[in-house]
Amino acid sequence: MSLSVARDVSEMVRPPRVVFAPFMMGHHFGVPFHRELQRRMIFEALDHLVHAQVSGETRVVPVTWAQARSEGRAIEERMK
Amino acid sequence: MTETSSPPEQLRSRLWHTINERYPGSMISKDDAVPLAPLRKPTRESRLTFVSTAGVQPKGSLPLDTVHPVGDYTFRRVPSTTKPADLEIHQIKYPTVGAHRDLNVIFPIERLQELVAEGAIGGLTRSFFTFIGYNMDPDRVERDLAVSIANAVQDEEADIALMCPA
Repeated sequence: MSLSVARDVSEMVRPPRVVFAPFMMGHHFGVPFHRELQRRMIFEALDHLVHAQVSGETRVVPVTWAQARSEGRAIEERMK
Repeated sequence: MTETSSPPEQLRSRLWHTINERYPGSMISKDDAVPLAPLRKPTRESRLTFVSTAGVQPKGSLPLDTVHPVGDYTFRRVPSTTKPADLEIHQIKYPTVGAHRDLNVIFPIERLQELVAEGAIGGLTRSFFTFIGYNMDPDRVERDLAVSIANAVQDEEADIALMCPA
């Protein structure tokens, strides 16, 4: 089960199961201190592990990097 | 490949081709997908391992060689009970700005420990496994490094491998 932010690379390597999120490299599980997003990415992977039907199947997480960053900033504001 | 939801774009497009143009032959490509291995038991009963190219390793362990011209073909074990404060990053080929503030953005060791405590995952292998992705010989990666990690994962009786190319 592979978590990817580079869908084209994953498509060339062809692992059996991929979860793709359009996040910045090095931030596959989201943004700092965003515990719920980090957990969500793990749950997406576990769910895909159970439900993928064919090898090479990619699950795309419907979240944007801008949205993740915005939520992260709000969390950090509350932490001050 | 198929999709299960709407397709947002990756932030940096044509990454595979961009790197392969700069370092010809360095990128892995496969003609066929690996056969799908079925999950043998529910995730709440399964032992999970985490395999990452993030270069995360215990403080005091031999640093991965981030400046070797052809790469470092070794891996490090990270005890799955470790706290982030006892880990450090030896990798320079991806943005670590978030990871230096909260390691869980690339190496979610605290989230995985929490999910085991909550019963969502059956357990964690004794070790997680990390190495660096900057390796110029993909055949050697596959022949030596990948086999070594796969053997180690098998020895620790993992049911699930969550893999994260940083």
